[in-house]
Amino acid sequence: MHRAPCTLVVLLLVLATDAHHTSAQQSSRARASSSARRNFVACPIVRDTKTQPCWLAEYEGELYYLGQQGGVANDFYPPQLGHLALIEGVVGQGRVCGGIPLQPVKVSVLRELTPACRTMLPAEDGIEAPPPIPAPRGPAPSWVKIDGPGDVTLYFDFDNDFFSLHLTVALTDLAKHVAQVKASRVEVTGFRASTRLSNGQVMTERDGMGSIRARKVADTLAGLGVPASLISVSAPAQAQPADGVNDPWNRRVQIMVR
Amino acid sequence: MRVNRPVMFLLALATAGFLVVLRLEAQTEPALRPHTSWIAAGSRQTLPREIVFENALGRLGVLNDSGPIDTAGHPFFEPIGSNQRACVTCHQPANAMSVSVESIRERWRATQGRDPIFAAIDGSNNPSLPQDEASSHSLLLNRGLFRVGMPWPPPGVSPEFTIEVVRDPTGVNRDWIYGLTSPTPTISVFRRPRVVANLKYVTSPDGLFNVKLGVLMDKDPDTGLPSSMNIMADARAPSLSVQAQGAYRDHQGGKGPLTRAQLERILAFENQIYIAQVWDARGGSLIEPNGPAALGPTNVARHSVHVLNGPKTPAFHFFDMWLTRSTTSDPQADFRASVARGNDIFLNRRFWVKDVAHINSIGLANPAKRTCAVCHNAQTSGMDLAPGWVDLGTTNFPTWTESPVWSESPELPVFKLTCRPDSPPHPFLGREIYTSDPGRALVTGHCADIGAITMGQFRGLAARAPYFSNGSAKDLRELVDYYDRRFDMRLSGQEKQDLINFLGVL
Repeated sequence: MHRAPCTLVVLLLVLATDAHHTSAQQSSRARASSSARRNFVACPIVRDTKTQPCWLAEYEGELYYLGQQGGVANDFYPPQLGHLALIEGVVGQGRVCGGIPLQPVKVSVLRELTPACRTMLPAEDGIEAPPPIPAPRGPAPSWVKIDGPGDVTLYFDFDNDFFSLHLTVALTDLAKHVAQVKASRVEVTGFRASTRLSNGQVMTERDGMGSIRARKVADTLAGLGVPASLISVSAPAQAQPADGVNDPWNRRVQIMVR
Repeated sequence: MRVNRPVMFLLALATAGFLVVLRLEAQTEPALRPHTSWIAAGSRQTLPREIVFENALGRLGVLNDSGPIDTAGHPFFEPIGSNQRACVTCHQPANAMSVSVESIRERWRATQGRDPIFAAIDGSNNPSLPQDEASSHSLLLNRGLFRVGMPWPPPGVSPEFTIEVVRDPTGVNRDWIYGLTSPTPTISVFRRPRVVANLKYVTSPDGLFNVKLGVLMDKDPDTGLPSSMNIMADARAPSLSVQAQGAYRDHQGGKGPLTRAQLERILAFENQIYIAQVWDARGGSLIEPNGPAALGPTNVARHSVHVLNGPKTPAFHFFDMWLTRSTTSDPQADFRASVARGNDIFLNRRFWVKDVAHINSIGLANPAKRTCAVCHNAQTSGMDLAPGWVDLGTTNFPTWTESPVWSESPELPVFKLTCRPDSPPHPFLGREIYTSDPGRALVTGHCADIGAITMGQFRGLAARAPYFSNGSAKDLRELVDYYDRRFDMRLSGQEKQDLINFLGVL
């Protein structure tokens, strides 16, 4: 009988640090030009299939594939009907589940209700979901970047301070590292940011979001045993400017262990 | 006479075997007690290691795993507070360590309403009502609901929402002593008592984080270790110890805290008692050798805790041995096959789970094509290994279990909660929510928690109707019907019956 002392155990097994993965992710970000991107706000669409549901969104008459239903250990967290989604992705090749794939893609659920976002498509012959995507073996690129055991960046959805599973794992590891190296200082810096949509519109996160994120990270580290006296928190008031390419990576908290 | 040694050996073996069989018989057939076997606070008796109580669907088994329990002087059974109640008043072994409406009504009849279970403070719709009238206890008599008065605002919390009482059929929420505008502002909600048994599954912590919300777990104040946060309907007690102290104060009128010795005896009793159905009127014995490993309190006691539902570790183990249907007419085999099909539906039937806060709002998609066992994922208990408070929709309009028609819904209070513009709204109901029980939000003050109730264990259901925290499902059919409607599962009549049969034997 499989005994799980913690539901995280299985998930932790696939979340070991993988620096190569992170480097590849950075390179792919740098290569992504704004012309190859689609940044837009739309109602998400869920399409049933024989296997897992697919998530799609329409922009300027074209259907884009965002990802498929998975678990919280996956990198892709699907959107929610009932809410608009901010979609920031790089246009890929071919079609998946009836849409042009955006990969990588960052999907942020916008927090206010939008009752009109209720489109569900039935399964159709010939339209299949791709095979299940395994959980990342290293830090999930949409959520965490690790440049060293004491140099961690956490990424957030637009206007949101939610800690995905990946963030909680990174913070747990970081707290252990602080104890192991007997760190003298932990610097937590939170940022809020703007994002440039493909239609030229700029969206900006609300005032104070960087501070909310940083404070939440600091409180969590303290709860994990990092002495509060070691933790310094800062958050620039200004939103990080938008360029339409790197915007998802500006919504972040940087943690440096000294 | 010459004695053949091998023959003697075989005779001895047979005799030993006969004795073993006799002992097993004795073990598997303890005295049968009626479902109305009420243990009054302060009654002195010895509860055997194994007890069997009749109920509507069959028989419930109770296992005192540490051995017989002498109730005399035991703080779980003695009225140590000020209102003649004991813990056992609302946690009766015959009712799977909760209390059924049937038993409550029987107590009303037997005592003309003078049993301490009807104490004004929470066994009544409103302590200010005349307490000798049954109508003043209608929520307890009709739904098995006790009043839970929650301070408003929650201590140490700046709530994200305001709260108004928009309907108050009991009068308690507008009462000048007990209500929201009283000197001690209080919101009264009405909830069922939870099962005080099989608690190793309920208290098993999941880790440092609540993986659903990405926040640290509350900690057990005694041990400093993470709580399971699955003990109470609103997860307000991080440990059985805190729960016991709160219950002593709020339900028994206890003055000051329980002593260390009292607390230790209460917890020792609670941590050793197991309950599960052992016999079904149609299915016969549920605890036969080589039968389903999920069934019966002895099996519940021996299984490992914190095992996640999966292909090799299904939530309620395996029912394969019951799947085959007899070719001849065999009602028992037919029933058992129905139970096995119900288990299969529970594990494998996918449907669109939608608009459930803390399920669909945590990165799992809304809607998500999932099964019952994805949320009820803890093997043997059917709870959630992670903190299990979710807004299934039972208390929030429009999916609540109450009638949407005003004239048909006079029982529960209705509150209007308005979320502050600068706070995150409820993920699927927005900023104005009508609810009969704000659930976890009365503890955290978070809009996202409005209507979130911790799921309960699936054990001993046959002995403790009605169901849901608000006692709205009077039987298992109404429970299954709610899910069928809520998630548009489109279960056939046979599938519903299979699920009912499955739930009824747990």
